[in-house]
Amino acid sequence: MIDLSTELAGIRLRNPLVAASGVFGYGEEYARLGDIRWFGAVSVKGTTLKPREGNPPPRVCETPSGMLNSIGLENPGAEVAAREKIPWLRQFGVPIIVNVSGNTYEEFSELGTIFSDVEGISALEVNVSCPNVSSGGMAFGMDARSCYRAALSVRKTWKGPLIVKLTPNSPDIVAIARAAVEGGADILSLVNTLIGMAIDIKTRRPVLGNVTGGLSGPAIKPVAIRCVYQVAQAVQVPIIGMGGVSSYRDVLEFLMAGATAVGIGAGLLVDPLLPKRILADLEDYCQEEGIVNLSTLTGCAWKG
Amino acid sequence: MRSPHGNAPRGYSEAGLMENSFAGGGPVETQARIVSMNIEQGGVHTTLLYAPEIALRAVPMQFVQVKVAPLNDPFLRRPFGLSRISPEEGIIGITWATVGRGTSLMGLWREGDTVSVLGPLGNGLRTDRVLRTNPGPHGRRPVWLVAGGTGLAPLYPLALSLGPHCRDITVLYGARTAEALMDTSLFETVGCKVTVATEDGSAGVKGRVTGPLGHLLASFNGPLSSNPPLAVACGPTPMLRAVKAMLRDTPVELYVSLEERMACGTGLCKGCAVKAAPPRSGYFHVCSDGPVFPAGEVLLGGEGQGA
Repeated sequence: MIDLSTELAGIRLRNPLVAASGVFGYGEEYARLGDIRWFGAVSVKGTTLKPREGNPPPRVCETPSGMLNSIGLENPGAEVAAREKIPWLRQFGVPIIVNVSGNTYEEFSELGTIFSDVEGISALEVNVSCPNVSSGGMAFGMDARSCYRAALSVRKTWKGPLIVKLTPNSPDIVAIARAAVEGGADILSLVNTLIGMAIDIKTRRPVLGNVTGGLSGPAIKPVAIRCVYQVAQAVQVPIIGMGGVSSYRDVLEFLMAGATAVGIGAGLLVDPLLPKRILADLEDYCQEEGIVNLSTLTGCAWKG
Repeated sequence: MRSPHGNAPRGYSEAGLMENSFAGGGPVETQARIVSMNIEQGGVHTTLLYAPEIALRAVPMQFVQVKVAPLNDPFLRRPFGLSRISPEEGIIGITWATVGRGTSLMGLWREGDTVSVLGPLGNGLRTDRVLRTNPGPHGRRPVWLVAGGTGLAPLYPLALSLGPHCRDITVLYGARTAEALMDTSLFETVGCKVTVATEDGSAGVKGRVTGPLGHLLASFNGPLSSNPPLAVACGPTPMLRAVKAMLRDTPVELYVSLEERMACGTGLCKGCAVKAAPPRSGYFHVCSDGPVFPAGEVLLGGEGQGA
């Protein structure tokens, strides 16, 4: 019997696959395409205090082995998420991670308060890494001090497991990771998207309405693996590794780099059945390799 | 004002002309076999795919997402409107022109190859309901299909399903030149009256498709209000904007089929945003709220921004 289950700061996951924030909405769209229970946990769309309508189009653009997006945190706001979206998502019995994004430290605290009153949330994920909003977002994640304060702001009001999602755009992700843990993070998510842009050579203008966007997809996987490999050795908390996962091999690579769970982001946009395929392939892999507990692979690339 | 995001129920869905893919059991991902690859008049390709589950579920004006090549580059699927829907044969068709990397790779497809197709996606038009609404004193309401460029292709399944029930379908079709015109004989076969316009006058009426549309509108002066036509437009955004402007203060009920840069096609990413027309605020998403919209519900291109 092969055991794919894992544990993140006391949260039991049936398997290590996590629906990454931003490609899963609040699960309503995905429920029509696949089975939410294929995931070990799900992270909902970045949720802000007030509703946000998002950035002007074009919002997406394909790039070599990846894509740029500048959605701009389109979401219905914390109140609707808390009252309608999360209660609906609970029915699947899959651990729910609520990704929250604030413009200020006070907003982060308030988001912690709002979601403390909602049943069935396994963890909050502090988004200090969105590159597509003009205030807040990635600004908090580029500097150790502000990342520490953002984490601490949620920590004060939210007593459950706390995740901080890190950006790969900072020059020293290990320093930021340490600051997040010091601020109260029980788990780290990495990485969010890399800032990029594309120019339309016909119109001679930037493709995206917001000019720059976040790069995701297989193109960023080596950067993400490097980040997980470095951070996992520097901190004691478990890591949700992500960036360009499109097969079970990528999942294994993240685990070996030091991740405890692995996010699926842009890959889900191409193949909604990806988690199902990956789970089947992981089982086959464990069978062939004689692995009983998949979680024993975590960090093997540096543990020796 | 209620913003369109957040899955708020919307008026036009309740009107019942549009139907999304989930009513028929939801979209499926399938390895579709390429039945034929034809280069047609106008320099477009029509690829027929054996995808019985999709053919059974699809309604006219829905689309599919095609992975043009395996592996990760090109990364995203490509959206294509359905130019054929044949549930009896289990066949769907996509009609495409070579415009970029994805379609260049599609030129390498061969009969017998299989490609991953996800669909049907988006809201299509339920033709039985189209015909049922507002039947005027003269029987079925007239239908006007207005197309530009390759926008003609997805209107064919619509014409085909309306054909047996509707004696009055007019196709107005515009292209740059005679060489760029797609074959319209399929529409004529199912009984549509076809008027063609080319910008350089090399075939049909000289000028844009709004020329013949103006004539049609003028000829309908009398009976128009008692039996208002239903118009469906598919083509480049400037054409849709011009058609919408021309029909704005008339009783003609206009639906537009939109395109926007799209990633997932399934509603997950919120990428393909189109601005909602006042009094709504915020954005719709072409893949999940469209691709067909009542023209009055959306702002097309620079429309409504003082442009």
